[in-house]
Amino acid sequence: MKPLLEVLRGRRVICCVGSGGVGKTTTAAAIALREAMDGKRTLVLTIDPARRLANSLGLHEMGNEETRIDPAMFANAGLTPRGEMWAMMLDLKHTWDELVRRQARTPQQAEAILANKLYQTLSTAMAGSLEYMAMEKVYEVHSSRRFDVVVLDTPPTSNALDFLHAASRILDVLDNNAMKLVLGPMMKAGKFGLKLLAAPSGLVLRTLARFTGSDFLRDLTGFMMAFEGMYEGFKDRATRVKALLTSRDAAFVLVTSPQPLTIQEALFFHKALADDGIQTAAVIVNRVQRDPRRHGGPDNLPALREALQLAQIKDAGAPPLSDRLCQTLTDQAALADLDRREVERLRTTLHGVPLFSVPRLRKDVHDLAGLWQIDGYLGENGGD
Amino acid sequence: MSESALLSRRLVVVTGKGGTGKSTVSAALALAAARRGKKVLVCEVVARERVADFFGKPPSGTRIRELLPNLYSVHVRPREAMREYALMTIKFETLYKIAFENPAARYFLAAAPSLAEIVMLGKVWWHAAHDTERGRLRWDLVILDAPATGHGLTFLTVPEVFLRLVNEGPLARDMHGMQSLLADPKQCSVCVVTLPEEMPANEAIELDAALRQHGFPPGPLFLNAYFASRFTPQELAQVTRGGPLLLAAGEAADNHESRAALSAHYEGVLRNAVQRPILPVPFFFERSFGAQAIDKVAHAIESAL
Repeated sequence: MKPLLEVLRGRRVICCVGSGGVGKTTTAAAIALREAMDGKRTLVLTIDPARRLANSLGLHEMGNEETRIDPAMFANAGLTPRGEMWAMMLDLKHTWDELVRRQARTPQQAEAILANKLYQTLSTAMAGSLEYMAMEKVYEVHSSRRFDVVVLDTPPTSNALDFLHAASRILDVLDNNAMKLVLGPMMKAGKFGLKLLAAPSGLVLRTLARFTGSDFLRDLTGFMMAFEGMYEGFKDRATRVKALLTSRDAAFVLVTSPQPLTIQEALFFHKALADDGIQTAAVIVNRVQRDPRRHGGPDNLPALREALQLAQIKDAGAPPLSDRLCQTLTDQAALADLDRREVERLRTTLHGVPLFSVPRLRKDVHDLAGLWQIDGYLGENGGD
Repeated sequence: MSESALLSRRLVVVTGKGGTGKSTVSAALALAAARRGKKVLVCEVVARERVADFFGKPPSGTRIRELLPNLYSVHVRPREAMREYALMTIKFETLYKIAFENPAARYFLAAAPSLAEIVMLGKVWWHAAHDTERGRLRWDLVILDAPATGHGLTFLTVPEVFLRLVNEGPLARDMHGMQSLLADPKQCSVCVVTLPEEMPANEAIELDAALRQHGFPPGPLFLNAYFASRFTPQELAQVTRGGPLLLAAGEAADNHESRAALSAHYEGVLRNAVQRPILPVPFFFERSFGAQAIDKVAHAIESAL
């Protein structure tokens, strides 16, 4: 099997996808590190990294700051990268505001939107907002050509479709003809300088107003008016983002753990990608329990007792040491069997997709040395 | 907090990061309460329902179904919750159809500040506080298996956010009702589930602080998948240096102790940082999600509470 670096050769945008808690951030950082070691100028764009990992990457706060990882930190870890590694933490609100400023026809229009009460709630609270902005940021960084490779650590979406269709969902909110029709009378009143004082009219509007109150409808009208004329720009950009993600420039790496539920989620994600015409470039299974029995040696009680005796170790305690060792071996062998079964299920279902299996490490990974240790399992033999 | 105190609430909310075992804990709490003769409803507000499957039953879907005597579950989804809720307010099916079953309504669901969350929380609230049968409340206890953190907090603060934007109309009135139930320590308890790992532990600490800041009555923190130490440091040193015959046993023991050390470490971190009782739930090696596993978790929780 080809090492991951080879599998991803020539890709300029690498998206790590998968459910929450499977080690996506760590994997994304490990990939970025590998590319940097290989001579690339790489950026890892992360959403919500563990504090210690963030600290070790030199990320102290959000704010879309591209931060170069101090070469001294590489030296400390005994690494000499031929390229550079940078990191950035995505700031949702900031990215939205940037996008609005960029797309607005006039500074006044931008200010009107940024000041709208509904925009402030919507931009950060809308389902799919984080996903949309992550992709937007990747597109922006990619187009700037400041980096050879951008690795995206995607939000821990529980649903693959939320991620892939985030842009169209959000665009639908920004420009919805049906709603414009309904809000028409209020929008017209607004344009004639009546300061949106018109009462909700029409059956639909009156019914909706009974539900939410008419203040909300007024805010909504103001919001839609502020956005008028900007929609095309947004749509155009979303189309280009999507084109990038489905191009040969981009690769999707599926990250999972061997738990049945996350494997199920990974398979679902794989299918959703395929439905959108995107091929999964590789799958990485983190925290796979290694089987202690691979060392051979005694694994039953009488044999363990004998082995302890031979090694002159006192079989003491309650329950006796031999019992506890036997139980622990059994427990871990059982976990290893379960993991192996799940990894095989994944391998069979994702027939032909390179699969890398990273064992459960003794400690949490929170520095460059730890990330480099992971890279050892992303080589030719896929961690087996 | 004693178990009877937790299970005698009207509404118990179970929150935490994704993958920490919220559904397992929700199901185990429900089982413990049902065994005490309480009539329990588990409301799952997540993308995919799991609780029915734990008890070997087909998914309940959006209709309440009995899983075991006294134990029921329902999957709360935005579209159906919206319909139920709107019908309660609007009363007329035809009017509902005109107003809500048109392209504008889809937009409306997406645009109104967290309307999807509002109607889902509204449904849970209704079951907990207004769902009556022959003059008395139908459920002794409603357990809400809430969305993952971040989103989970958004979910619970939805009434607060909504009321900042809108202060009139039937929805606003109901939001006040929801808010007061969610703030009442006699009727409601908000629990957190986490794992002995860095990200989940940090997130639990942040969630604990945020929940307290918003005034949600604190329930216990369940520290799931807890590894208890099995070997003394001396035993471990001897076995790992015990030669080729003990290589496998030594690695197993070493793995176990490194996970036990992480469990103890994060338990300490959490005890220092979190102001609520901490209940370790042992790791179960079977890793099966059947009724037996839930039963074990329920017993572990019962003995710890």
